[in-house]
Amino acid sequence: MTRERWIKSILAVLAVLLMLAGGLPLARHRHAQVPVVAGPGVTNVIKLSEFLPALRGTMADTNVYVLEGQEPGGKVLVMANTHANEPAGLLAALIMIENAVVEKGTLYMIPEFNASAGRNTKPGDGYPLYFDIPTEWGHKRFRMGNRDASPLEQWPDPDVYIHYPDRQSLSFNDVRNTNRTWPGRPDGPRMEQVTFAAMELMRKNKVNIAIDMHGAETMFPVTNCIVAPIKSSKIATLVSMTVKAMEGFDNHVEPSPQNFRGLSHREIGDFSDTLPFLLEAPIPFLDQPTGPKTTQLLLDGKDAFLLSLSKKKKLFVPYDENGWPMEKRVGQHCSVTLEILKQYSKKNPETAVRVRGVPKYAGLVKNGVGHYFHDPSKAEKKSVFYE
Amino acid sequence: MSPLTKGVAAMKKTLFALATAALVIVFAPPAGSQGQIPKAQLPVLTISAGQSNDANTVNAVLEEAGILYDYCDVPTVEMLNAGVGLAGKKSAEGFHVESYTDTAKYPKGTPYKTVIIAIGASLKGMGASGLTVDAEEARVRKIIDACKKKKIFLIAVHPGGEAGRGPSGSDNERMIDAVAPFADFLIVTKDSNKDGRFTKVAALTKAPLIQVDYALGMVDILKKVFI
Repeated sequence: MTRERWIKSILAVLAVLLMLAGGLPLARHRHAQVPVVAGPGVTNVIKLSEFLPALRGTMADTNVYVLEGQEPGGKVLVMANTHANEPAGLLAALIMIENAVVEKGTLYMIPEFNASAGRNTKPGDGYPLYFDIPTEWGHKRFRMGNRDASPLEQWPDPDVYIHYPDRQSLSFNDVRNTNRTWPGRPDGPRMEQVTFAAMELMRKNKVNIAIDMHGAETMFPVTNCIVAPIKSSKIATLVSMTVKAMEGFDNHVEPSPQNFRGLSHREIGDFSDTLPFLLEAPIPFLDQPTGPKTTQLLLDGKDAFLLSLSKKKKLFVPYDENGWPMEKRVGQHCSVTLEILKQYSKKNPETAVRVRGVPKYAGLVKNGVGHYFHDPSKAEKKSVFYE
Repeated sequence: MSPLTKGVAAMKKTLFALATAALVIVFAPPAGSQGQIPKAQLPVLTISAGQSNDANTVNAVLEEAGILYDYCDVPTVEMLNAGVGLAGKKSAEGFHVESYTDTAKYPKGTPYKTVIIAIGASLKGMGASGLTVDAEEARVRKIIDACKKKKIFLIAVHPGGEAGRGPSGSDNERMIDAVAPFADFLIVTKDSNKDGRFTKVAALTKAPLIQVDYALGMVDILKKVFI
């Protein structure tokens, strides 16, 4: 073989090895499973594709955990991981699935709403592929996802995403963002199919409330808040006032802008009778001016750059040396969700929803997130599902 | 009456007068001071100065207090003058009307006796109503002028805390400047008044000022105002 051929062969082998070294962890991440121990309140687990068969067999299909109470009442849809790089909502939803008992009404829980995004990552930002939550029985490992669905599920992206049905021009990658594809359509791109299926779930089951749990940067004003359209705003305001006064964490209400299309807090209300609420808790990990995107930053939210910005009053949350740990964010989501059910039920006793067994903010801050997860190795096999 | 008896009687009168004066000094705070809750009358109209969600906070508080009200986010002077029912106007894009006043007690057209103004600026809210900050400020000043002419009791509320404040000349401060000096009663959260802004206004205008820890604390205050 000539010298040139040798060099080319060596380079080709090195390239393949690099691709394998880079690609194998991504492939493992994409197929990694997170066990969920369905709690005593779970009465059924179905697939979102029941509401749109086109999703069946795709990575976009996802579990819907149904918790139906003994007494008929109102119906609530709770979604998390619409953006799979905002995992406080996922953890809050899984805590509810593993612990909640519904006394009146029905909960529909979708912990991995954008299931494809949950199996995607952001290598350009150095995202960790996993994070671990310490529990009393060991560590529970979760996938860290990305904001948008993987291009493996939906490709190619348009140059400009034209929102359906409003025809508003949105960023090209928002076609893979399930908080821009509401209300969706059955024959649209895959993520529009996901949101359409969720709309069908709400319409067919006459769901009264939809809660979509998110995380937002500390440098962004729409954080520590509930985003609500006019029809949900009275309940949102009462919830916000109550959690602030009675549970001691900051919260305010942001109105859902009428001219920004595709978001759950806008379109769910416009295309159904359901009252939508989008919850935001701060997630320092997403802020641009931080140090490296480590699992530690994800879990405790402590960052020297953000601390410096906080002292210069550039942040929209009261941030200090303690950061913004996961316990606080998950606690905020649990408490706000419970308060929404309570305030809604006060005003609508016929369609009230009563739930017990879900910890509130103080409990989560005191005991930690892992305290509320059950050991799948000790659970009955039929109670263990996988995300 | 003997001189001794007269002296004792005089001493008793003096002691009684001193005790009464002491009681007055201790228990009757001077006019315009913090802590006094004035009485106001129905029917009441709630409005916004700045189009933030704080108007919803005021409405939610009134509902919790069991007080029926009318609400409009951007009323005109004509709507204010039309009284209960707001001239039958209906909500439309960028314009929100709600009417819950008990029309059995206060028939449509009954002049408002009280207006509650929720102070808080939101560019999103103003934009949704097609308003600039200048236009919103001008609109608010017209409404306040009209309230003053009709001797309507004005309650200014600032529940937004530090987030509802800003540097001098900012949108939030402009709304405070447009409303607070003309209020007959000020209710603010302690967080809203960290720099004593509202205390200074109340000291100048002699309007009573109440500070609450949280917005939810306004429920009891407004119950005392109207009931």
